[in-house]
Amino acid sequence: MATANPITDNTQAAENAAADVLVLVTPMAPEHFKGVLANLGSAFSSGSFVVATQNELPADIPSSVRIVATPQSSAAWALKPIDFVNAAQYGRVHGAKAFLILGPEADSLSPLALRSLADAVLSASIDLAVPHYSLPSHAGLVNSAILYPLTRAAFASRVRFPLSIDLCMSPRMAERLAGVASAVSPASQADALLWPVNEAVAAGFVTDEVDVGSRAMPQPSDPDVNSILALITGSLFADIEAKAALWQRPRRPPLVRRPMVEVDLSDGTADVARMVAAFKLANANLQEIWSLVLPPNSLLALRRCSTLDPVAFSMPDGLWARIVYDFLVAYRLRTINRGHLLGALIPLYLAWVAGHINVMASGIPAERHIEAVAAAFEVDKPYLVARWRWPDRFNS
Amino acid sequence: MQNTLNNSMQQATQSITAIPGSSEDASIWHHMSEALNQSLYRVLTLLIAVLPGILAFFVALLVFATAGVLISWILRRCLSWAKFDARIAQKSGTDWAPASSPTEIVARASFWICVLLGLVIGVSAFDTSYATGAPLPISLLPYLTHAVGAALLLIAGVVVARFLARSVLISAVNAQLQYARILSLGVKWLVLVLTAAMVLDHLQVGGNIVELAFGILFGGIVLTLALAVGLGSRDLVSRSLESHVEHTGERTHIPDEVPTASPQIRHF
Repeated sequence: MATANPITDNTQAAENAAADVLVLVTPMAPEHFKGVLANLGSAFSSGSFVVATQNELPADIPSSVRIVATPQSSAAWALKPIDFVNAAQYGRVHGAKAFLILGPEADSLSPLALRSLADAVLSASIDLAVPHYSLPSHAGLVNSAILYPLTRAAFASRVRFPLSIDLCMSPRMAERLAGVASAVSPASQADALLWPVNEAVAAGFVTDEVDVGSRAMPQPSDPDVNSILALITGSLFADIEAKAALWQRPRRPPLVRRPMVEVDLSDGTADVARMVAAFKLANANLQEIWSLVLPPNSLLALRRCSTLDPVAFSMPDGLWARIVYDFLVAYRLRTINRGHLLGALIPLYLAWVAGHINVMASGIPAERHIEAVAAAFEVDKPYLVARWRWPDRFNS
Repeated sequence: MQNTLNNSMQQATQSITAIPGSSEDASIWHHMSEALNQSLYRVLTLLIAVLPGILAFFVALLVFATAGVLISWILRRCLSWAKFDARIAQKSGTDWAPASSPTEIVARASFWICVLLGLVIGVSAFDTSYATGAPLPISLLPYLTHAVGAALLLIAGVVVARFLARSVLISAVNAQLQYARILSLGVKWLVLVLTAAMVLDHLQVGGNIVELAFGILFGGIVLTLALAVGLGSRDLVSRSLESHVEHTGERTHIPDEVPTASPQIRHF
């Protein structure tokens, strides 16, 4: 991870030299950083990029790589607001035309992927190039269940990973995100998440996805779903609440969708029974809280789900979409304490995961199921808009 | 006013004494009517003395409530204009999670502060007029301030009990504890019993009986919870001890019961 004296004197020449691409590399282990530098050297021609980082430089660094020091900050599993501020600041100094931010363990991205991300901004006039990772079907489940479908329905964006930990931006996009990041108070910098796709849609900038293949995804220091789900979902809900005037306007999602990439899922043998048991326990105990958030028809559907055996367990896509929408509306209305609200969502999310795993076990590709879920979110968007505007109409 | 009252009472006495009957009956009637007259006189005098205070109380309450409505409206507009909610959200992150927005809370707080101020000023005016005008003490009046304090204690206790009960229930369910509801109810009743004891103590009702009853109830609930948790976690403790015996000298590892521990599932 980051050390106290990372930058050597031979980087002085890079301080103000111009470059096409500014690469901001977030704190990571020395071996990972070494791999990132090697891949960058292969992806870009010498002198066309500058690396801004706080990582300790490896001993055998190529002389062609120009590096500037950034202020020390703690390592994190996702991009932090300070990363966007630093990228904009150093990119401005070097007159960069593309701002590439690489998250932890970015050495698993190939040189071709890095080049493709930068080319999307440099050549294709894209403002925000977001990677499309090829992850195992049992990974990134919060993204598949909530982040992707909700972002797609609300902001009409088909970006598969709205909370990607690598991205490439144009100067104006970098300035906008730096402005948003600057508004985050220092006290909440450690936990704050930015939503670049939502910002790009709000600004009317062009967004596109770039296939980057597989990538090692860094995990939060606390892998407990209780904390991850509350943090990520709460942040997205807050962002959607802040942009309510934007997403309530009807938008047509882009029609073109890249072909689904199926990844081998033979490594996954998740404990569906345990997740279903967690849901059943919650169904028996949390009715009082759920009834404050969910309409009676959803509660009835959940009761029916709770009678299913683990092997046959499934949660209908439409039901899941309405549950997320109802929780989003309750988050906005502060029906109950927001911590309690997100805590009460966890068993429902586990139920969706159990159903998703059963769907995959039945032979249906994971991506097809996720696309069906996202489509259900799109179809039910009028329900969200109606409840957002007239929350008292509970049984609409 | 007092002259009018005296006149009316004398007329009433004369009409009573004019009733025909024996001399003993007349004497009884006379004493009764005199006692009634004196009582009526005292109560009416007290009411007349207190009436301006009551009026002052309601006027003060009305004026300050109106001022509160006005101030809260101005505050709401100003804070909305200054994007107060967004600023607070930025500073506190996602931890700020009360049932209302910060602007709404500030506006409501300002209104209720004004109402409380009106209440204090009204009670003060009432108290002044009562102290000067009342020839007899009324034992219920000192209870008024205690009752207000007790009511506030009760409201705070119920709110805290509800919040803690929900927190415990959700955490216990997410930790897959089968006795989640019992735990939640136990916490809720612990806080409620504590609140009830504090309220009674504040009202100075019951004395030692309340303390004793509180001790017994509180101890009983804690014992019940301890038994519930202990019996429910018997298997976990057994496994832990067995593991400790098998790996003497090594760090005891208790299996994580949280469903997220499955290494195959990655939520992010």
